[in-house]
Amino acid sequence: MKMNLRGGWVLIISTWQMWLQHRSFFFLLAFGWMIPPLISLFVWYTVSGTHAIAGMTQSEFVAYYLFFMLVNQLTYSQTNWTMGDAIRSGFMNLLLLRPLHPFFHAISTEVAGKVVYMLFVIPVVILLAPILHPSLHTTLYQVLLFIPALLLAWLLRFFWGFWLALLAFWASRADALLAIQDALILLLAGQVAPIAVLPAPLALLAQLLPFRYMISFPIEVLMGNLSLTALLEGFAQQIGWLCFTLLLFLVVWRNGLRHYSAIGG
Amino acid sequence: MTEPLVLVRNLSKTYRVPERAEGLRAAINSVWRRSYRSVTAVCDISFSIEAGEVVGFLGPNGAGKTTTLKMLSGLLYPTAGEVSINGFIPWQRRPEYLRRISMVLGNKSQMLWDIPPLDSFRVLGEIYRVPPGEFRRTQDELFDLLDMRPLLAKPVRTLSLGERMKCELVAALLHRPTILFLDEPTLGLDISMQRRLRRFIAEYNRRSGATIILTSHYMADVEALCPRIIMIHHGQLLYDGTLESLANRLTPYKILRVTFDSEHIEPIDAGTLPTGTELISKEAANWTLRVPRGEATKLAAFILNTFAVTDVTIENPTIEEVIDQLYQEGAL
Repeated sequence: MKMNLRGGWVLIISTWQMWLQHRSFFFLLAFGWMIPPLISLFVWYTVSGTHAIAGMTQSEFVAYYLFFMLVNQLTYSQTNWTMGDAIRSGFMNLLLLRPLHPFFHAISTEVAGKVVYMLFVIPVVILLAPILHPSLHTTLYQVLLFIPALLLAWLLRFFWGFWLALLAFWASRADALLAIQDALILLLAGQVAPIAVLPAPLALLAQLLPFRYMISFPIEVLMGNLSLTALLEGFAQQIGWLCFTLLLFLVVWRNGLRHYSAIGG
Repeated sequence: MTEPLVLVRNLSKTYRVPERAEGLRAAINSVWRRSYRSVTAVCDISFSIEAGEVVGFLGPNGAGKTTTLKMLSGLLYPTAGEVSINGFIPWQRRPEYLRRISMVLGNKSQMLWDIPPLDSFRVLGEIYRVPPGEFRRTQDELFDLLDMRPLLAKPVRTLSLGERMKCELVAALLHRPTILFLDEPTLGLDISMQRRLRRFIAEYNRRSGATIILTSHYMADVEALCPRIIMIHHGQLLYDGTLESLANRLTPYKILRVTFDSEHIEPIDAGTLPTGTELISKEAANWTLRVPRGEATKLAAFILNTFAVTDVTIENPTIEEVIDQLYQEGAL
């Protein structure tokens, strides 16, 4: 698998060109993705108006959800859909005939997506911040930790989405699993409520499963609410899950391709 | 003697397809207990192709043509057998191999649907790492050959089927592949577009010396393009050679149509015709004779010299008839 940066770059550009053809669809999509965290934000804003909940004040909820919108869009894995569709539609055949690993195809749509989402998310966050008064006691040290946590979160979500998408090699309706995954992310990655606010059994589940480490964990690092032990534990979990997911991805990719080449697309 | 470009030995492919009886009960049972049936798509095929040849794969639907093509291009693993193309094993899909080949699937598009073709071409140029100067030259040459400049600014989804196929061909040829696999390239196109693409494919072969392997249902494609055909039926190789000698082997006769001058009707006594010749029909001054292939010209000359005739034609049975006969009988 050799790098072809110019190839990757034109793939990114062509992805943008295609989206520009569907401006209205794309605006709606990007807007749609922002709505659920905004709803959570307003609910918790209202509920925490008089007293702190699980140690979180109203302005902390605001900060949490504004960052949630950013991190959610930065780590969102479109590969779930693009690779799955490529397999189902037979486009994978054409990708496999090219001297560029299909992996690059996935990663360039990812990068293309990130840039465009930010065009939506950043203005909204900037607009809401002065209205809702977030409070943040972030130190430089936390920002420095946030960056690797965010990167790991993105890699984890990307490869997790990738291996799920590859299930389309075997079952053409594998995208049903994606709906389950989205529900788990809604609940356990800190979207419906920050992990700290979840009931104990759910919070424990969130600690153990990979979803918290895809969105919530980097925000928790940034908000500075984690003890040193919790921080180390979190990073260990993130790296552990990433390694496991990478392994899973490689196994599924190899076997999936063998299966695909055995039956034909 | 150097090794041929494409070498295929005892190639076989067997698919396992899930199978169940009709009805809800069978559908429910199949959820946890599936039964499979083996289907042999390609069975012990061997052939070789020299560099620069244009070879047509013929065969009825489901004969194994596309399966063979997919194994040659590296999309499918075979169940058994060997393929070596330019020293590469296709299904290893090494980038060096992929850069040398191209495949056009008549029913799949590599064009990006929503943007003009030029943008898709640029992506492909970079993916194949074609140097910019060479890329422009190739692109211009292909645009001229296919007369497609007016299409270049329109989004692909607004193009007609024929226009889209032109784009597919350009997309496939931008990196100047030395081996080109065309699966049903003229599928669904009108007659004049078919002819135009045929001319283009022949011209590309002549200019670039690329080896071209194509499948098609249209005999005209094969007659116009392929000096050599490989016929596959029920996954087996039925015939490998020229179209002409196939016709010779299948139909050792030619059809001789004679129109006599109407004032001298029935000049021939049917009994005096050369042996092997048969009078098929006799309608007034129009006679149709079936003559052994080798005798046809001799007999025509004899008739012309001996009788007052207004017209003599020698015809081959149409190739469609020949092929249909072959498909029906399934053997040579």
